[in-house]
Amino acid sequence: DSDIQKKIDHEIRMRDGACKLLAACSQRDQALEAAKSLQTCSTRIMAYMSELQRMKEAQVMQNVPRSDAGPMDGRLPCKGKVAISLRIPLMWKDTEYFKNKGNEASPGFELRVELYSCCSEDDYSAGSTPRKLASKLSSSLGRSAGKKLRAAMEPGACSPVSNGGAAPLLLPVPSVGPKYHLLAHTTLSLSHVQDSFRTHDFTISGNECSYWLPLYGSMCCRLAAQPHCMTQRMMGGWLKVKQCGGDPQTWTKVYAVLKATSLFCYQRQEDVEANVEPALTIGINKETRIRASEKDPHSKGQNICISNRYGGEEVTHTLNTESREDTHRWMEAFWQHFYDMQWRQCCDDLMKIELPSPRKPAPVTPKQGSLYHEMIESSDDLTSTVSDILARRMQELELRSQLGTSPTWMSVFEENCPKSTGLSFRPCSSRLSGHSPHSPHCLPSRSPVSPHRRPQLGLLASDASLTSDSDSHCSTSPCCRRHGWPEPSSNFPLLSSSPSRLRPRTLSLDAKLSTLRGRGYGGGGTFQCSCQPPSSSLLAPLPAASRSPLSQRSTQTTLSCSSSTSSNSSSNSEGSHSPESSEGGPFSRPSPARRSLRNLRARLDPRNWLQSQV
Amino acid sequence: MSFVPGKPVTAVVQKIEIQKLRQGDNLILGFSIGGGIDQDPGQNPFSEDKSDKGIYVTRITPGGPAEVADLRVGDKIMQVNGWDMTVVTHDQARKKLTKKKEEVVRLLITRKSLEEAVKHSKGCHPRQ
Repeated sequence: DSDIQKKIDHEIRMRDGACKLLAACSQRDQALEAAKSLQTCSTRIMAYMSELQRMKEAQVMQNVPRSDAGPMDGRLPCKGKVAISLRIPLMWKDTEYFKNKGNEASPGFELRVELYSCCSEDDYSAGSTPRKLASKLSSSLGRSAGKKLRAAMEPGACSPVSNGGAAPLLLPVPSVGPKYHLLAHTTLSLSHVQDSFRTHDFTISGNECSYWLPLYGSMCCRLAAQPHCMTQRMMGGWLKVKQCGGDPQTWTKVYAVLKATSLFCYQRQEDVEANVEPALTIGINKETRIRASEKDPHSKGQNICISNRYGGEEVTHTLNTESREDTHRWMEAFWQHFYDMQWRQCCDDLMKIELPSPRKPAPVTPKQGSLYHEMIESSDDLTSTVSDILARRMQELELRSQLGTSPTWMSVFEENCPKSTGLSFRPCSSRLSGHSPHSPHCLPSRSPVSPHRRPQLGLLASDASLTSDSDSHCSTSPCCRRHGWPEPSSNFPLLSSSPSRLRPRTLSLDAKLSTLRGRGYGGGGTFQCSCQPPSSSLLAPLPAASRSPLSQRSTQTTLSCSSSTSSNSSSNSEGSHSPESSEGGPFSRPSPARRSLRNLRARLDPRNWLQSQV
Repeated sequence: MSFVPGKPVTAVVQKIEIQKLRQGDNLILGFSIGGGIDQDPGQNPFSEDKSDKGIYVTRITPGGPAEVADLRVGDKIMQVNGWDMTVVTHDQARKKLTKKKEEVVRLLITRKSLEEAVKHSKGCHPRQ
């Protein structure tokens, strides 16, 4: 109880700090950060308050005498650690990566993921004034303690309201400062816990702000949970074991530890720490049957029989304890363990939860093989890691690639666009405390930057200001120059086909695939790192191979798209996107499989105004 | 043709019936669509109202079934075989048009010239 109170106090102090900072700061990025902290602190305070409330209620209810008290009453399933790794596909940026610190929860938990975004305007002294979109993710853990427990209690006892003395907390919201709007939310619970990444649907709140940041309507995340019964030793003690069917009178004295759905029996107590293999392991899971038998005339204490089915056979072990109290304690532990099985699939295998620590490189095998994952999970030494991964990827792709084009995302690094790397690495950079995101390998320093680059630079600057607190939030900040509906293509004129190296804007890696794959970019498969500064302004129409002038509006780009769409008789639908991909052009017609893959990517790239042939 | 949230949409529509053409394993209609609620409406070159997220005809294959049926580029598709097309995603729209079991699609389309025509006729023959 006092724990929570302390946490609340802490959060309130943080909140006050954020308010003051908000009032005092002059820079946009700081304001954004402060507003973000404010929002999260407020949310956390609310969560803690309601938790406190619930605890008080639970206390009150426990004091009420229950007439139909069953054996499970008053028992709570063990808590566990829940962690979530998130990926939210956004239309301008491919993914936002966010890793939450593990939180404590009971199996009936609900993890509400809310996506907030804040519109902000940047004013740059020189150059264009893009609109910056910063979005942040807040996860608030709402605990609904043990639904089963509630059900077992008297009806009417679980009234959610009761204001038992806690006054409603008015959290003053500063009127200045960037406002975050809730864009979308989804709620995850135990059933969503899985050891792999899954896609969940977002419920998009219908407010106007939702349209600023076009979401795919889904997010992808890995929700992992480590119940304590899997990580901690629930019970330990000396027992005597004999196996039924074996020699009836041989009792073996073992030191037994109950943990992670098994009873591990060691010969010596020291073995437990020493990581020696247990002499005997008895499974204690949902299928196990445990019985305390009558007092065995041959030994003092009571016997406990544990039966499991292995294959078709039933194997029974009999445990004998020193005393009745021991027996009782063991039975209690077993019962608790059964109750902990409410964590269901989490008890099958221990799920890994990596704690993000900025200094420690965390080598994680990504479930998906996307480059993004690799980059995010890697160590904070961005530069070498990136080039390592890239080199590896290059090799992989060279071996596999049939088109003979270099992987399209290579262009991200071959160009001299700070934003591209910034965009890709942002999640990384946000976790680095003070680590400069500005010096990835193979890219020039940022100081000489043309005015056209400023918008992109600004984005990175905001990343640098992100603190490395454990709930680091990543801000997306694609540029959009105009008010009204985001029209990325007008701001990012690079979509035209230009094999030149000057890529004026960043595409997310996956999105790049759609535009560049068909382009035969850069010749086959060599990873060059060209660190030449751009020789011309990015917004100037590029000569030679450009098929649609860069500076023109998106509509014209689209028109040229449609006019140059070649009809594919073999597929019913075709996503035609950037002009170059639909041209027969300089490269051979890709195989249908690749074309459908390209179509898929074209579809997923929201900058394209999709057209389908029917 | 702009759409006010909460208010019913009214439009002058024309019925167009297109017989699908079999090409190998596929049934094609011979036109392309653009738009959808998941698309960026600002990029639609055919819509008058740049916030219109409806489905528009962006291309007609010459000589195809759609051309034969007098579908035109720039038409906004309101319904397909009774299914609404004004509030659908791009892919949903495509799917409604490409159902393998349907050999005919009956579209309700609207176009600017229709509106004009009706207005004209109203104007020239004022009812008393």
